Amino acid sequence: MRSSRRAVVTLVVLLVAPGALGAQGSGRVRGRVTDAASGQPVPDVRVSIEGTSVGTATLASGEYSLPAVPAGARTVVARRVGYALVRASVNVAPGDTVEVNFTLRAAAVALDVVVVTGLAAPAERRMVGNTVEQIGGDAVNAAPAAGAVDQALQGKVAGALISQNTGQPGGGVSVRLRGTSTILGNAEPLWVVDGVIVDNSSEALVSLGANAGRGNAALSNRLSDIAPGDIDRVEVLKGGAAAALYGSRANSGVIQIFTKRGRQGAARVAVHTDLGFSETPQRFEFNLAPQAGYADVLNGGATAIGAPVQRYDIQDSVWRTGASTTTRVSVSGGSGGSSYYASGGYGYLQGIDRSTDRRHTSVLGRLSQQVSPKLDVDVTGNVIQSHSNLIPEGEQTQGVITSLVFTPTSVKPFYDPAIGRYPYNPNLGANPLDVLHNWKAQEDVTRFLGSVQAAYRPTPSLTVRYLLGLDDYRQEDGYLQPPASTGPTFTGLVQNPIRTSRRLNSEGTLSHSATPSPSLGLTSTLGFRYTRDRTEVLNASAADLPPEQTLVGGATQFASQSLTELRTEGSFLEERLAIRDRLFLTGGLNLEGASAFGPDERWQLYPRVSGSWLVNQEPFGREGWLGTHVSSLRLRAAYGETGGQPPSAYSQFENYVNVAYGGKPGLVASNTTGNPSLKPERQHEIEGGLDAGLWRDRALLEFTYYHQRTTDLVLPVPLAPSTGAARQLQNVGVLTNKGWEAALTTVNIDAPRLSWRTRLSLAANRNRVTKLVTGADTLVFDYLNAVIQGQPIGVFFGGYYLRNTDGSIAYGPFVVNQFGKIDTLLLPLIAKDTIGPGNIVNRRKIIGDPNPALVASLSNTLRLGRRLEVSFLLDGRFGNDVANFTRRITELFGVDKVVEREISGDTIPRTFSRNPASRSLIYEEYIEDGSFVKLREVAVSLHFDQPWVRRFGAEAMDVRLAARNLHTWSSYRGLDPEVNLFSASTVSRGVDFANTPIPRSFTVSVDLSF
Amino acid sequence: MIRVQPSPLSVAAAAVLVGAACDLNLSNPNSPTETSVLNSVDGVLSLATGMQGQYAGSVADFLVTNSLVTDEWGTTNKSLIAYQSLLTGQSFDASYAVVAAPWADAFRTIKSADNVIVHAPQVALSPGVRAGLVSLAELFKAMSLGTIVLQYQEVPIDASRSGAVPQGRDVVLDTVLALLEQARGDWASVTAADSGTLKARVLGTGFDVRNTIDAMRARYYLVAGRYAQALDAANSVNPDVLSVLVYPSPGRNPVYDLSFLTGYVRALKSVKDQAQSGDRRVSYWIDTTAAPVTGNPDSLLLPLKKYSGANDPYPVYLPDEMKLIKAEAFTQLGQLDSAAFYVNAVRTQTTSALDEPVAGLPALDPATQLNTPAQLLAAIAYERRYELFEQGLRWEDTRRLGTAITTTPTLSFLPIPTQECDANPAAGC
Repeated sequence: MRSSRRAVVTLVVLLVAPGALGAQGSGRVRGRVTDAASGQPVPDVRVSIEGTSVGTATLASGEYSLPAVPAGARTVVARRVGYALVRASVNVAPGDTVEVNFTLRAAAVALDVVVVTGLAAPAERRMVGNTVEQIGGDAVNAAPAAGAVDQALQGKVAGALISQNTGQPGGGVSVRLRGTSTILGNAEPLWVVDGVIVDNSSEALVSLGANAGRGNAALSNRLSDIAPGDIDRVEVLKGGAAAALYGSRANSGVIQIFTKRGRQGAARVAVHTDLGFSETPQRFEFNLAPQAGYADVLNGGATAIGAPVQRYDIQDSVWRTGASTTTRVSVSGGSGGSSYYASGGYGYLQGIDRSTDRRHTSVLGRLSQQVSPKLDVDVTGNVIQSHSNLIPEGEQTQGVITSLVFTPTSVKPFYDPAIGRYPYNPNLGANPLDVLHNWKAQEDVTRFLGSVQAAYRPTPSLTVRYLLGLDDYRQEDGYLQPPASTGPTFTGLVQNPIRTSRRLNSEGTLSHSATPSPSLGLTSTLGFRYTRDRTEVLNASAADLPPEQTLVGGATQFASQSLTELRTEGSFLEERLAIRDRLFLTGGLNLEGASAFGPDERWQLYPRVSGSWLVNQEPFGREGWLGTHVSSLRLRAAYGETGGQPPSAYSQFENYVNVAYGGKPGLVASNTTGNPSLKPERQHEIEGGLDAGLWRDRALLEFTYYHQRTTDLVLPVPLAPSTGAARQLQNVGVLTNKGWEAALTTVNIDAPRLSWRTRLSLAANRNRVTKLVTGADTLVFDYLNAVIQGQPIGVFFGGYYLRNTDGSIAYGPFVVNQFGKIDTLLLPLIAKDTIGPGNIVNRRKIIGDPNPALVASLSNTLRLGRRLEVSFLLDGRFGNDVANFTRRITELFGVDKVVEREISGDTIPRTFSRNPASRSLIYEEYIEDGSFVKLREVAVSLHFDQPWVRRFGAEAMDVRLAARNLHTWSSYRGLDPEVNLFSASTVSRGVDFANTPIPRSFTVSVDLSF
Repeated sequence: MIRVQPSPLSVAAAAVLVGAACDLNLSNPNSPTETSVLNSVDGVLSLATGMQGQYAGSVADFLVTNSLVTDEWGTTNKSLIAYQSLLTGQSFDASYAVVAAPWADAFRTIKSADNVIVHAPQVALSPGVRAGLVSLAELFKAMSLGTIVLQYQEVPIDASRSGAVPQGRDVVLDTVLALLEQARGDWASVTAADSGTLKARVLGTGFDVRNTIDAMRARYYLVAGRYAQALDAANSVNPDVLSVLVYPSPGRNPVYDLSFLTGYVRALKSVKDQAQSGDRRVSYWIDTTAAPVTGNPDSLLLPLKKYSGANDPYPVYLPDEMKLIKAEAFTQLGQLDSAAFYVNAVRTQTTSALDEPVAGLPALDPATQLNTPAQLLAAIAYERRYELFEQGLRWEDTRRLGTAITTTPTLSFLPIPTQECDANPAAGC
């Protein structure tokens, strides 16, 4: 241990260059922090000197030490989530040591938390007029989330709808903050890691779930690269009022992740290791009737209805209980003016679909150095490698779950030595067992994320900050479909696309604080931000594969390339006013230019204003009813504007496409003509709310109402064909999101041996598309999701049955079925329109809405005695519909249990398998209520710091049993109402079509700290 | 101890400089910029090539309406509502894609042609090559406008901009003919060397610019009723040359796509039934040996035969069209003997070195069978039906030849497409 510590110190010294340690005229502050109720030491309390960058965190013993505090009168601040902030004044003499001990009182109110996201300079939350949610690293890692940060945020951010789209390893997550505020643009928030805007692409390089041609269709997203164990905290900006500083990329909100930093003190080693397993939350219930039904005969599983058949349920060969393990070791510490954090970790996760897994290795190093009393430099480097084995699913005809539900259970699926291969699927695609055993769908990522940050304080009131950040990754996919695997004429296909993304962030701020009078504080900040993104996708594929199955060996080869470069540049000004330390006003302007817009509309101004008023700091706030019942009250309001970039980086140009003629290259102007006056989609958001602390801050009620109006939505506008072009992207659409968010955090019990905290959060959002190109437009995306004026975005739009006056489906006369016999079943009547001679089409209407009316979560944390902590998190959404295409297919092909009951002669509703033709294109009966409540997280942890622990050399040990997605309460009939075929698509939400359900997982973890 | 003491101002200045040192004027790296396409030699040459590709890719759209509203094709597929409407003339809707397609295709080609006409004279090419490019663009603009004026009653002539006003047929035909005369004049300054450059860099194999200009002059002078000029133009066309649009792999002939790959259309069996006995042209166009199938609405159909190869060329005009133009012009000018000569020249052809239909029919007796204008026009109508099958000309024939023709189209003209009406207030609909 000691030698490694020395090695680290040596490394630090080598890196930092000539000794900068030990500042002139400084003293030491040290002490101990204890819990007011229990008297126990409190670890991880951030102790800092106000107005300086000096800070540390307490050890497991509650002790801290600040070795280099500038001499003079100082204020020491101790803060920790869940406790009220405490300040102490001290006088530090050069070379002296001052002891300051703190006693912390539990509180639900967290107004003193410092937030930095969306601000030109960090500020305490009480000073900020807009909502900023902060989620601590403890909460992120409460129950290991298969290695993805965004999954771990589920249920923890009020007003955020976070859905995992597929249960495959590294499965992509889509996040909606305060609803969807674009139609063609990106509805996912902007992700920022340690100040660096990172790429969180969901671009599908090969077709594994939804077809790669659809937008944001990838099974995975790139946020899964960041190891949750390295996360210190996450800050969420939900709307325009907060995110104006991020300009034309902030319409969908901003989420900022901060990784851990080193702390002053001796080297601390933390070892985390866990073991777990995961399983499918549900299985399909298959038709196992001993005699053949209609679907069996139609699909080659039997020759006659009623004939005895052998049935196969191969789910045991598809699902499995997947094992997982993670190990992470971190070392942190610091002395003098430097601190460091270094960690390395490895994770392996098996998916619940056989043959899927994911390996993830990452190292993170961070060094903070006080170069001089006025200059701090911080260097971070994070290198990540991951390797995933996935399987096709969803609308891929070769998808494993897809073929599972498309194949009647009467078809024998096993390898047949007589023909030397797996039998072909009679309906479509490949044999699922063949795909599991012989196909390969791999994803390899190598990523570097790093930054250099510097803060320079020439005078106590002036700070200059600069950040240079890089995000550089390379994603290599490999997809092999062996010859003759989907049919006798299939010659095999191998695809090897590579996506490289390079991002550079450069930003700097100059902030100045002044106190013109005792009751007035002023902070002015001037800054700039520059980002450069360059993405290249190279796709090489080959068909007609020889047995060795390589790209070069394929007889037919294809290649394609696409390049995207985007630059954004802006400067901003922010003025913060603190009046009597109780009224805070902030005003900001961001002038931003982006290369995606033509010179005339390039530069846009994004203003914002906000106010925060601490009512209980006013004399009248401490008296009367208010003073008696409300321990703290803050009223806040904010207005801000943000922008959204168009779907293509080059929409401003007249783009020419290659139309070869007669073997010669030719150029033709694109049918979508360029629009040099295209400007950002603009969001105007106003929000207002209050934070009220009740019962001596034992309860905190937060409430926010917001109204977002997004104008200038980019839509394709049809042009007169006589212009020689078909359409142009123009700023024409408008939509609104209105809603409220409420959270109630309470400290129910805070006794020496028992504490119990609860947090309930509720959020409701109402989305409405208020203007399209014409009022009559109906833009249908993918299957059923439509954009219709006056309706929420993405409503299901489709054909429907005629209804009797009592609401039941109307049935028509007896008809001839597909076997030429009069069917004994009546067929439902479908609403039709006649267009042209004898051409009848289904009449369509809105048949469902995938947007939830209410999103709610409830978390409880119980601490029993000193050692035991139990917590659970319920996460739910209500009022959303899901289009269950999976059930439609299982019924059509007679795979579903309901068909077995029908075959067995029970009186069963007329299933789809009996009369598919008459119901084709009617999805009404498969639109289901997708409301659910999931027991998202359960964790039981035990803390040990007894002497026997120390005998191992450890200071403390935490053992935790945790489960994710343990149970789902829902009337939904599919495997999981949370999944979405179209992944992170903006409009197409709530479609379940042969997707892997989100696994139920269990882990046992051990955390040792040395 | 490191002493880092730059002044706050210099730090701020440095920071601002770092921020300002970038250029937001990026071009699309996936395609050439408009500036380089319009102002470089390679750009303009590629534009002229792409223009031909646009026209060549549109021939099926130009053909569908013509062949379905007349007695050439039937449709096989119940799902194609618009095709059935063209066949029956019922429940027709101006929003159908078949209504918009010829219009949009033509104006896309015209947009490219206009760009070539404006920019070719400004790039570093020899005067002859520049004139050749302009001539080619004028020809394709004229062919595009000409093709749609045979289908729509009113067509804007000053396209490539918004708010174009549709003009009547006379104005459009005058424009087409003026463009063709201009093209003929411009081509006159193209030397053999210039022509070689154009063949190597721009023209499709088998496309003969000069003969095509004259053939189009002949065609549209006839439509305009200017018979002397039509005669003169037709006489200028070399009968031993075929001018074609080509579709080398990976390209595909769009008529092949329509009639073979997707199989949406077939020939009406009546084309075979109504042919004179021994007319060898029927089996040039149609698979006469196949069993007829029932189309929708009820009509008997036979498979098509021509353009059965994905890479088959499609003729811009067939050489015998010139003979039939002459026959018709002579008839209209009262020179019935000459007219009869050309009708029989078409009828009695038995061999050809070119890929063109040959009738192999006996001559008609000029004294008894081709003795009156009515007899001649009826004979011309018949010959045009079998000689120029699925060439996009029969609809116009029904207008010009009147009672001499045996069929009535289901629609007189296509309406102005809904897309044009919605987006162009000047469209007047």
